[in-house]
This record gives sequence, C-alpha cells and structure tokens, in this order.
Amino acid sequence: MSKVSTENETTIQKTHQPLQVAKRLEHLQKDRGGASNLNDGTINLGRGIPNFDGPEFIKEAAIQAIRDGNNQYAPGKGVSDLNIAIAERFKKDTGLVVDPYKEVTVTSGCLEAIAATALGLINPGDEVILFSPSYDGYVGNFALAGAKIISITLHPPHFVVPIEELKSTVSRNTRAILINTPHNPTGKMFTLEELNSIAALCIENDVLVFADEVYDKLAYDMEHISMASLPGMYERTVTMNSLAKTFSLTGWKIGWAIAPPHLTWGLRQAHSYLVFSSPTPLQCATAVALRAPDSYYVEQRRDYMAKKEILVEGLKAAGFKVIPPNGGFCVLADHTPFGLENDVSFCEYLHKEIGVLAIPCSVFSLKNPEEGKNLVRFVFCKDDETLREAVQRMKKLKK
Amino acid sequence: MHCISNAIGKWPYKLMRFTSSSKFFPHKPFFSFSSSFPSSIAATMSTVNDAVTHKTHQPLQIAKRLEKFQTTIFTQMSLLAIKHGAINLGQGFPNFDGPQFVKEAAVQAIRDGRNQYARGYGIPELNLAIADRFKKDTGVVVDPEKEVTVTSGCTEAIAATMLGLINPGDEVILFAPFYDSYEATLSMAGAKVKGITLRPPDFAVPLEELKSAISKNTRAILINTPHNPTGKMFTQEELNFIASLCIENDVLVFADEVYDKLAFDMEHISMASLPGMYERTVTMNSLGKTFSLTGWKIGWAIAPPHLTWGVRQAHAFLTFATSHPFQCAAAAALRAPDSYYAELKRDYMEKRAILVEGLKAVGFKVFPSSGTYFVVVDHTPFGLDNDVAFCEYLVKEVGVVAIPTSVFYLNPEEGKNLVRFTFCKDEDTIRSAVERMKEKLRK
Repeated sequence: MSKVSTENETTIQKTHQPLQVAKRLEHLQKDRGGASNLNDGTINLGRGIPNFDGPEFIKEAAIQAIRDGNNQYAPGKGVSDLNIAIAERFKKDTGLVVDPYKEVTVTSGCLEAIAATALGLINPGDEVILFSPSYDGYVGNFALAGAKIISITLHPPHFVVPIEELKSTVSRNTRAILINTPHNPTGKMFTLEELNSIAALCIENDVLVFADEVYDKLAYDMEHISMASLPGMYERTVTMNSLAKTFSLTGWKIGWAIAPPHLTWGLRQAHSYLVFSSPTPLQCATAVALRAPDSYYVEQRRDYMAKKEILVEGLKAAGFKVIPPNGGFCVLADHTPFGLENDVSFCEYLHKEIGVLAIPCSVFSLKNPEEGKNLVRFVFCKDDETLREAVQRMKKLKK
Repeated sequence: MHCISNAIGKWPYKLMRFTSSSKFFPHKPFFSFSSSFPSSIAATMSTVNDAVTHKTHQPLQIAKRLEKFQTTIFTQMSLLAIKHGAINLGQGFPNFDGPQFVKEAAVQAIRDGRNQYARGYGIPELNLAIADRFKKDTGVVVDPEKEVTVTSGCTEAIAATMLGLINPGDEVILFAPFYDSYEATLSMAGAKVKGITLRPPDFAVPLEELKSAISKNTRAILINTPHNPTGKMFTQEELNFIASLCIENDVLVFADEVYDKLAFDMEHISMASLPGMYERTVTMNSLGKTFSLTGWKIGWAIAPPHLTWGVRQAHAFLTFATSHPFQCAAAAALRAPDSYYAELKRDYMEKRAILVEGLKAVGFKVFPSSGTYFVVVDHTPFGLDNDVAFCEYLVKEVGVVAIPTSVFYLNPEEGKNLVRFTFCKDEDTIRSAVERMKEKLRK
C-alpha cells in the first residue's frame, strides 16, 4: 500500500508487512470488542454498554472538579478522598475495615486492576484457575504475566461450581483463582456454600483469590457475598470493582483494588508503571458517587429488575430457553429451538434477519468453544423501550 | 530487602539511599522477604459491628519482573514536598491549570452524554485529530483508523508497546538517564536492556559506542526527544546516524515525544519522518504536557499497521479503552491554533530563563536544556555525598524539591552528581524557590 504524496507531504512507501505481536499475546483472539457503533437500526444487546447516561449528580461533580482545576497528576494510588470513599463503601458492604491508603488502589477501570494484579503478583508459569465461561478479557490479562491458565467449566442450567473437580484441580501449585461474582456472562452469583468450599481449598493450599465484583450492586435473587469477608480470606484476596456498571458510566474508566498491604504492594507497583495514575477529575466525581444514598442503589436495582423481566419474559415468549440471571445485566439463552447450527450462526441470523445483536457464548469459553455453542448472551442495560422493541422483533423468530 | 519493606509506612529515607548494589537483587522466590513491618500496618482490630480480620504481618509479595523497583521517585518526592512544605520543583506537573477551551470541551462532552465505553483504540474524532496534527508536525500521512491508538497517557502507550512487541530476551537499547517507567516496563516484557549513557555537558549521543552496541540481535531502541530529564534534543545528525543503524540491523524505534511542543532551542524532529523509518517506528505522545492537563491521562501511539497490531493487542488487556469525555476534549485541544503553541513556548522560555539564571546565581553548574520543562544541574559545589543526599538536604533544610537523577540510570552511580529541577510552575513559584536556595544553600 504505497502512498504518493502532494508537494508538502513526505512520500511513505507503506508496504504490506506481517503483523508483529509478542509471543505472550499471540494465541489470543484476533478481534474482541464486537460492533459498538452500528448505525443501521440494529438493536445492540451485545456488548454491555448502557444506552442511557449516568446520574446528573456524578456528572456535575466531575464538571466541578474540572472547573476547580483538579487536572494534574493524582497520586498513583488514588485521590485521597476517593480512597476514603472506597474504604467506607467497602465497610458498608462487607463489614471489613480497610486502610484507604495502604489497602486501596485506584486504577483505570477494573480491567487495569486485573492487569496490574496479574503483572504485579503472577510469575510466568504460575497456575491461575479461571471458571469458564468467563469475561473474555481475563485470558489476556493473565497472558501478559505468562500465567498457566487452568479452566473449570460451569455447566448450564445452573452453572454450579463443580466442587469435586475444583478439589482435584487446586493444589499447592495453584497461585490464584479468579472469581467473578455476580458472574458475566451467566448471571450466576456464587453462593455462600460455594464460596466456603473455595475458601477452604484456598486456605489449605495457600492460594490467592482475585475477586472481580463489578456487578455487585446488581444483585437480584440473593445477597452479594464478597470472598474477602469470609474468615481467613481477607489476607489472601484482591477485591476489584469499578464505577462503570453501578453508575452507568462505563466510559470513565475508574476502578479499584482492595487488598491487604502485602498484596497491594505488587499490584500498586505494576499499576504505577502501567498508567501511573488515573484521571483526576473523574476520581473526584467517583468519590461523590460512592457516597450516594441507599435510595440510589434501591432504585437502580428495581429498574434493572424491571428490565430483566422485560427481556427474560420476552425471550421466553419468542421461544428461547432462558437461564434467568441472579445478578448482573446479562442473560444467557439457549437458541437451539430455532434450528441454527451453533451460536455464531444464530447471532448472524439474529443480526441480519431480525435486527438484534447478541453475543455468541463460545466467545466466553476458555476450554472449548463447543461448550458455548447452544447459548447466546443478551444484555439488558438498555432503556425499557429499546428492550421492548428488541423483544417485539424477536417474535419473528421461527422455530 | 530493606528498600522494599520500608516503602510502606516508614517514610523512605532508607528507600532513597541508593548504593550501586541495591539495584541488583538476586533472583528470589515470592515469599523470601523477611521484612519487619512498622506497627501501623499490623493487626487491625475492628469494632463490634465490623468483621475481625486479623491482619497479620506478612512479607510483601511482588512478581519477579518488578522485584528490583521501588515506589516511583515521583511519588516519594511529592509526598516529601507536602510533608516539609517545600516548593515542588520535582515531579513534572504544572501548578497552573490547562486552557479554558479544553476544559470546557470536556465539560460539554460529559453533559452531552459521552460517558460510555469509547472504541478501544480511540474515538474516531480523536484518532483523526491526532493524524492531522502528526501530518502538520512531521509531514507524514497516517491512517487514523489503522495507525493511531489512544491510550491512558503516554505511560500506557509505552507499556503497551513493550508488552505488545517485546519478547523475553529481546535486546533493547535505552539511553540513560531515562524516564523510570521505561526500565520497569522493559522488565515486565523480559527484555535484555543495554544502556548507553548520555553525559554532561551536552548529553550528546556517543555514536561509536552506539554503533558497537547495535547488532542484528537488537530488537528495538528507545528514543525520548525532547529528553527527560536532561532537556537534550536529538539532532538531525544523531537521528540520521541512529536511523541508518536501525535500517541496517532491522531495529525498531520506540519514540517518546511527549515534550515535542516544548522545543525551544531547535526544531523537534520525529524519527518517524526520516526516510525508511516510519515503517519501523512507534511514535508516542500525550495531551498532558502540551496542554497542562497531566491528570487527564490521554496519550497515543502512532505506528504502521504491522506494529500497531501488537500495541493494540497489549492495550486491549491493559485498559482496553480510554476515558471517553477526555478523548472528546483532546480532539478539541489538538485543533488549537498555531498561536496556542507559540504562546506556550514563549511562556515556558521565560520560566526557563528565570530558573536557569537563578540556579546559576545560586552556584549550581547548570547544563543547557533545549527542550522539555526540565533542567539538570550538578550539585557537587554544595558538598553533599550524592544526589539523594542533596535532594533530602534541599527539601528539609532549604524547602525546595528536586529529583535525584540516579534513579534514571541503570547504574545509579552515574547520576550521583546530578539533580533535576522542573520549571512547569508559575513564575512567582520559580522565583520563590530560587530565593530560598539563594538564602539557604551554601557551598
């Protein structure tokens, strides 16, 4: 692809060259991210991006911070007021008292918290257990650190943790296990029994837990339980969360990691060399967000439960076999009644013929894409009207 | 390891006391740190309604790739500044705000609802603005969709470039002194680092030494121009020389050009604009320094598609996407008229003059700085042992913060005579700092 320039430009002979990428990332999927900017009238229930805005009071707090001149480097570990607000919220949610300066680290989104945790605490070859299906970013986060991923499949319809399999997999060679609860993509919430079993194995084998809890405020059918709050577990757990899902501000990228000092050290060091610090004015606003009154959370939960109802009932009416989520804003549905070959071909059909976007569940499978082929993922972080419209369109699906 | 254990809790006088051996830790497995903890981190017993967590003393854990690094010097020095009420000419952040029009663009973006996930490699209008600006600056035409990637600050661009394009064992050449994240991210990538020291007074590239260091085994060379901390700007001759070696040996260039708009004594030259170089160069920059908004963390990497690929792959697993409203504002910023840049340069040159004249009058040996908002000086006239000792003295006894440069070298000994001051402060602050030094610094 050569470019011939005008008088004032330099001629660059840009020739085709093979793509270069470091070995650690070679094996990863070529194209993540799905279509997010469709202008063709398609209803996007694919990626988890709300089509409504975050609350005014938080937006105004950010605007105030910008206008007040809070625009220079924040301390690497976070703006003090935010560290304090995170600690306060965590205490309210779990009962745990943590030191805001020694045990809370602000990151550029929860993804960066995971990357910093991986690069800061995982050595090449360390065994890390992931549950499958899982958020499709984890494998990449841990690939950066050269971890050896061992996956344990959660099977439909209830995605119960297979304790016996876990027992035979966890050993003294296991460095860490990642728990995402409420869980993306299944909507599962880890029960107290499951967490207790996992905790016992971790304590026995000296295993760390990396807990991704970004959907903790979207808990419908049961209370969210933080692994860190179980006896003996705080000292070996990194608990991660973010502003995004709770406050419908997925584009601000403010997250955090809470961990005892001896684990905070590694992740904070990595963080300081990956991004150094996170956007200052948005941190100021996040502190305000986290001090939202209980009514905010109650109302949000109520709103999301209504959306869940619209989508779940709508999918059932259309003919899907639906696996209702306990938490989060995703729902898995079995598409096989419609007679398409697999999840990918179903999603193509759904997009082209019906005008709705979903994500094939095989994208989230760590072991074997076959595992996800009967399932597709819809999100319901959209306004009610959009969800109703999507449901209406899906009535056209033929069994 | 005393350095690391003192990083938390105890204020880091020990932490900063570098000896040349302290940087070279033998390989240790995870749990080998038998550090003694200050009691402030010890068991935290809670009240009746809280969970009792029994936080016991535990050795600090860190992956091997980061073992040798300490809390960044910037964090340490800024905290010291606050503790002693010192004037902070250390960490490079302005004590004045960014331009109104850029701030208001961010406000508008937030109000307009630009608050959800941005496209991973950047919002279209920012990628386009970056490409347009790059063409204006260098004459090079790049495809905004295929050759521009937006990151969370230039720091993340560096990390994504290292993790995305460098394999363990790859040889990378680094000019010392260097910004501290280079060494740390190279270590994360498992690179084998070869250092080439730039020496006072003019920090010129030692061409023969470089020639013998580069070979077909070299994967990449990192160039920061204008250069932090020295203020050196790579000349056309130096860049030509480096370019020919890179072409001959198939070496990539990672170019950190965040200070390109603070080029005072000569024109900034981008390596990517030299013949044969665009195809092997990753050019990195950011919003922060040019627009006095260091806390917004909007950066970018410009590279041909075959290199952009690796950068984007790593970026996807580091942060995936960058703050949306600030990207919108950055697009507005990059369309600033020429007058903005002319005024920026003029203001900074005035500040530089105040600081440089002041430091000379105080008694430092000042090395000429052609670009950036930093100047490096020799502190030895004041009779302190090394740069760390001098900076400690300067904070505690004089009330001014500078950065000890030894942390920017592979061999800290090489920096022991030099400290770095910044002039990205309002003129009164710079004058006050100079006054304090005139009063209290004695040879």
